[in-house]
Amino acid sequence: MRRKCSILSGTLLCLAAVAASAQPQTVEQKAEVCAACHGAKGIPVDKTYPVIWGQHQGYLYLELRDFKSGARKNDLMTAVVADLSRDDMMALAAYFAKKTWPDLRQKSAPDAEAAVANRVNVSIGCTGCHLGQYQGDATVPRLAGQQHDYLLKSMRDFRSRARANNPGMTDLMKATAEADLAPEADFLAGH
Amino acid sequence: MLMPDMPVLRRLAVMASVAAAGLFNIGSALADETKPATLYGDMSSVTQDMLDRAGQNGNDFLLTNGNYSQQRFYPNAQINRGNVARLRPAWIFQTDLMESMETSPIIVNGIMYVTTSFDHVYALDARTGEELWHYQQKLGPITTYCCGPNNRGVAVYGDAVYLATLDSKLVALDAKTGKVKWSSDIADPEAGYSETMAPTAVDGKILVGTNGGEYGIRGFVKAFDAKDGHVIWTFYTIPEKNLGVWAEKDATGRDLHRDIATEKANAPQATELYKRLGGGVWQNPSVDLATRRVYFSVGNPSPDLDGAARPGDNLYTDSLVSVDLDTGKYICHFQYVPHDVWDLDAVSPTVLVDAMDNDGKVVPAVMEGGKTGHVYVNRRSDCGLIRFSEAMVPQENMWTLPTAAGARMLPGANGGVEWSPMATDPSLGLVYAINLHQPMTYTVTSAPYPNGKLWLGGAFAVIPTEAQWGNITAVDYNTGKIRWQVKTPEPMIGGILATAGGLVFTGEGNGRFAAYDSANGSRLWQFQAGAGVNAPPSSYNVDGKQYIAVAAGGNVQLNYKRGNAIIAFTLPE
Ligand code: HEC
Ligand code: HEC
Repeated sequence: MRRKCSILSGTLLCLAAVAASAQPQTVEQKAEVCAACHGAKGIPVDKTYPVIWGQHQGYLYLELRDFKSGARKNDLMTAVVADLSRDDMMALAAYFAKKTWPDLRQKSAPDAEAAVANRVNVSIGCTGCHLGQYQGDATVPRLAGQQHDYLLKSMRDFRSRARANNPGMTDLMKATAEADLAPEADFLAGH
Repeated sequence: MLMPDMPVLRRLAVMASVAAAGLFNIGSALADETKPATLYGDMSSVTQDMLDRAGQNGNDFLLTNGNYSQQRFYPNAQINRGNVARLRPAWIFQTDLMESMETSPIIVNGIMYVTTSFDHVYALDARTGEELWHYQQKLGPITTYCCGPNNRGVAVYGDAVYLATLDSKLVALDAKTGKVKWSSDIADPEAGYSETMAPTAVDGKILVGTNGGEYGIRGFVKAFDAKDGHVIWTFYTIPEKNLGVWAEKDATGRDLHRDIATEKANAPQATELYKRLGGGVWQNPSVDLATRRVYFSVGNPSPDLDGAARPGDNLYTDSLVSVDLDTGKYICHFQYVPHDVWDLDAVSPTVLVDAMDNDGKVVPAVMEGGKTGHVYVNRRSDCGLIRFSEAMVPQENMWTLPTAAGARMLPGANGGVEWSPMATDPSLGLVYAINLHQPMTYTVTSAPYPNGKLWLGGAFAVIPTEAQWGNITAVDYNTGKIRWQVKTPEPMIGGILATAGGLVFTGEGNGRFAAYDSANGSRLWQFQAGAGVNAPPSSYNVDGKQYIAVAAGGNVQLNYKRGNAIIAFTLPE
């Protein structure tokens, strides 16, 4: 069974359908709605939407929790999580964590941009948390190969506090020069 | 968690185990022979009597810091000033994981127990480095740790090996097989709790503190029953009444520049403060068996740099605390830095010695190496300060308050002395500490508590244009004077061991592991380990040969080159 959800206007309709169905749903069924935006094969339908396939379970869960509590704000996601319980969120997180990270075929950054990213890493220590090769672990997200435009948007959102659910990342992004963010996103997307 | 998600690391691990099998396991042909007896015969079970006498035992290394006093003084002189120049590797064991290592090897009757990042435990034949078993904790989905996926080692007691994990569990393993006997929850990782310390086993209890001062936790030390893992007592390092005495000065008498009027005005609203005021306990407590008291150091308040939301002295953060071993009841405390807004806290483990008080009387004392760069010497009876040492690293602009733009102050937020345990040589009256010199700026920003996520209230940033370095410092604890100092090219983190051979052993981020004359600091031997040696060394004796063992795995926090080696050194035949 595949629900039809159009990206722009259909979300709420599609969610209403979820809420209305009386049958208990399996995690696969609960995950169907996600594909409308995060992609049926893990490749998001919009450049500014993140990859969630193969992302770490703990991180996925915390983000769903934060969307639900309002600590992280996004109109699309707020609607998605409204009726999810903690167990639902944990199960969805486990479900997507087990999937394989998709290859978005993003180009590796030119040397000059990689050099900027390395300099940023020396001064801020990104890999102290995001770990070697920016693979993340547990509650720290994988950045390597994430959608380019989403990476750039999230770094800017941390900086401006539009994304305020991690003051630590906000402080680190404030300590990073605005001009370094674009090369950083190029580097991470192609890493 | 790690292995399925990280193909790169897995490949490295496979390579490493191939290398270990092919090249490095010198002497593995001996593996099938029976093991000759050592001092304790064939006892592989650890009794309380053995632990009580660990400090006089020149065969085993039974407690994280050598003995319950945590002196890290090893009573075996076979390797000594006269022959250390000939020390060479006996074997190298490579773990499955190329990541930061902070483990203190524990050795029981020829069996060595070591841990790695992400909570792997290995039992090794201490003569050969041959692997006897390997345990990997299946970490839950949520782990919250600020400073690397580290683990500092196990505790041994009875027939079990105890591990505290990143997802905040205490696990008892069968010492012979590595199979899980039981597992208990210590605290909720979603609320910011995690474990990297080695537990301490004493009298049927397993004592463990908690990380989380960077996450808005309520710190504690808990005692678990060694048999079944139930909680016997919990001491919260943050009491409900934590305002204190509105101290204007730190332990050394320097002005903290607090705005006490504003703090007092904010205090009535701060009734829930204790639930998220931090106060992690990162390292093992010392145990005074005569008085049945334990002593430990308590870390920073949360959030680290922003004091606005936490009026008062923030008891018992940045403090020495003593509690009753049997009940966990408070006995006394001494706060080194009231209302800390620099994270210049107390993390290095406490050390018990007998020291001269200010009337020239020798009294039971307890020492702590502060991130401030001072060694503090306190009375064990009432926790009161006897003296503090000369500063071991440059101090500048103390205590300048953090600003929105960033204010420079020395030492940087890693110290001074980080979590690295100190060593002592009671016959010389010296305590040895390894230090960092990292000029930093301290920046403050206010943000509400982000629910179990990193909460620093600002940032510490290394000033890239200023030189960083480290040192090894020997302090006379009866006077507080520095006896000798050796400068190292990089900030030091890991640990140090003193031996009856008149030596101290310690390692550096650049891979150098070296022995120094404990009386004057002259370097007598060195070895290049190929990866950062940022873990405390241990020593042991099997078949009449003394060994020095240390991990070379590098360090996440200071980004020192990663490795995966446990190296055991001995003298040639
Ligand atoms: C209508 C589109 C849409 C739907 C449907 C949707 N998402 Fe999202 N999701 C987004 C967008 C857009 C973001 C990025 C928000 C931002 O920029 O902060 C996002 C972000 C996330 C994140 C945070 C990822 C990260 O890297 O921080 C998670 C986790 C997530 N979604 C999970 C889900 C799950 C699970 C479902 C299904 C139950 C789902 N989403 C359904 C649009 C959608
Ligand atoms: C102190 C640890 C730490 C450091 C250092 C760090 N990060 Fe992060 N980062 C995190 C955590 C934790 C998150 C998850 C944020 C949340 O709670 O939603 C994150 C999130 C992110 C995200 C958003 C990912 C997503 O899927 O939404 C980006 C992009 C990012 N970090 C980039 C960086 C860069 C670039 C650096 C270095 C300049 C850096 N981080 C340094 C811990 C850290």
